[in-house]
Amino acid sequence: MIEIRGVSHRYISGDETKIFEALSNVSLKIESGTFVSFLGPSGCGKTTLLRIANGLITPSDGEVWIDGERVDGPAPDRAMVFQEFNLLPWRTARGNVEFPLEVQGMARAERDQVVTRALAQVGLDRFGEFYPHQLSGGMKQRIGLARALSVGPSYLFMDEPFGALDPQIREMMQLELMKLWDSDRKTVVFVTHSVDEAVFLSDRVIMFGTSPGRVIADIAIDLPRPRWTDDEAIKTSPKFIQFRNDIWRQLKRQLVAMPDA
Amino acid sequence: MSQTTATVPAKSPAPQRRRSGVAYWWRRSGLITVLRFGGITAFIALWEIGARAGWLDPLFASSPALIVEKLVQMVMDGSIWPHVIASAQIAGLGFGLSVLVGVPMGLLMGRSETIRATLEPFTIALNASPQVAFLPLLIIWLGIGLTSKVALVFLGSFIIMVINTEAGVTQVDKRLVETAHSFMANERQIMMKIILPSALPYIIAGMRLAVGRTLVMVVVAEIYASTKGLGYLIFQAGGLYDTAQVFVGVFVLATAGVLLNGLLRWAEKRLAPWQHLQNG
Ligand SMILES: Nc1ncnc2c1ncn2[C@@H]1O[C@H](COP(=O)(O)OP(=O)(O)OP(=O)(O)O)[C@@H](O)[C@H]1O
Ligand SMILES: [Mg+2]
Repeated sequence: MIEIRGVSHRYISGDETKIFEALSNVSLKIESGTFVSFLGPSGCGKTTLLRIANGLITPSDGEVWIDGERVDGPAPDRAMVFQEFNLLPWRTARGNVEFPLEVQGMARAERDQVVTRALAQVGLDRFGEFYPHQLSGGMKQRIGLARALSVGPSYLFMDEPFGALDPQIREMMQLELMKLWDSDRKTVVFVTHSVDEAVFLSDRVIMFGTSPGRVIADIAIDLPRPRWTDDEAIKTSPKFIQFRNDIWRQLKRQLVAMPDA
Repeated sequence: MSQTTATVPAKSPAPQRRRSGVAYWWRRSGLITVLRFGGITAFIALWEIGARAGWLDPLFASSPALIVEKLVQMVMDGSIWPHVIASAQIAGLGFGLSVLVGVPMGLLMGRSETIRATLEPFTIALNASPQVAFLPLLIIWLGIGLTSKVALVFLGSFIIMVINTEAGVTQVDKRLVETAHSFMANERQIMMKIILPSALPYIIAGMRLAVGRTLVMVVVAEIYASTKGLGYLIFQAGGLYDTAQVFVGVFVLATAGVLLNGLLRWAEKRLAPWQHLQNG
């Protein structure tokens, strides 16, 4: 279980003249084994909250507890898929997926197996020897996903993992992710800008507002599972459409309220 | 043409390339190659003609033919090798040590604020000072033998390695460091698996600069404190107005510099291919 308790975060510019309030007093409880999406306008602090929850940055105020322990740094059972891929340009796709396993001291033979499986899971088993600069944006993103999956984390933080994919692959990857998730029910926190994606994947959609970043709505999505077996039926069901319209209406209000909209 | 492209798409680039092959090569590299070789050839030709026509005094300017003759003679009778070996030994030891010490030091300085704050005054001072001025001191401390000369080369080259490596570390993408951190990499792993490979192009660029500095320092050290080596050869020939021999020494040093530079350039392309492929 992830407990976010009164988290606020301020970014301070290098010369300490500007203070930017990225998150203000966010409290959330995320039950283990649930799939939760963060949805909200650009700049509302979704990435910031993910980095805080993963222990990459310490919040200005408040704290995060995971499984009864206070988060004060990264842990081996948590993995992150980064919005900007963050692949190592001097390593092949394989090498990138292998990186966390190598760092965590897994034996080479075992590593090879795990990497091969992770690459297959994202449909890139034939691209193992390619370097990041030889891959498309969507492929890089999937390598980032494979890298996070390779460590077999109980908590998966995914920051717009499908943002760079074309719509068809994106839907295929959503199905893959659902299938995968149904097999082991990790706790997933998934950031997205797509309302449909959030509704289709999640048990809960948490909506954020800007200036400062804060939670404005928390919507339980009680669509039946599994959802990947007949995704068309799910996506055309009245309930799905109802959720989507509700969320979109609220999101629109946020977007209209944005200063630069 | 368009039909060929449509039916055999995989082969379509080939006829295109063949058709415009020469023009393409010319545009890509032909002109550059001609300019490169043309320039140097013209220079050598003018030099030779000038010397033969009597426009240049051979006592001062020598001539390409005389220099080649001298070089061949010194290679054949073997008199050049002790000098080459002596210089290579100093250069190799001094350069090797400067990489071995400079790279780790630059890595640590780039990574740790404390280490940087402590060492930076020294590196700034050493970098700003003319390191050759230390030679008399080095000779007093270390004697006139190999050690003082290696020390001078080291002093000159190592500072370049430190500064370049440090610059390479400062430009490392912070997001990659954060990524490694998120996957539980410890400081040593971050250093070896993130910082070092990211900084590698800077380190190699530093080595290329350091090769030049090394050669300068070898010559200076040998002029002042040696009875063999290319620096000594040049200095002694200068005293005897043997300009051809001076040029032989310079030529050997320049060739070594160009070759080492080429080798490092090649190594950079091999070791950091993403740097080149990303833009091209
Ligand atoms: N390192 C930083 N230094 C200063 N300000 C930052 C930093 N990182 C983020 N911010 C600011 O904090 C705010 C929240 O950023 P964050 O990346 O968390 O937004 P986000 O919700 O993930 O946006 P997006 O949907 O565009 O990815 C933004 O206004 C951004 O400008
Ligand atoms: Mg973001």
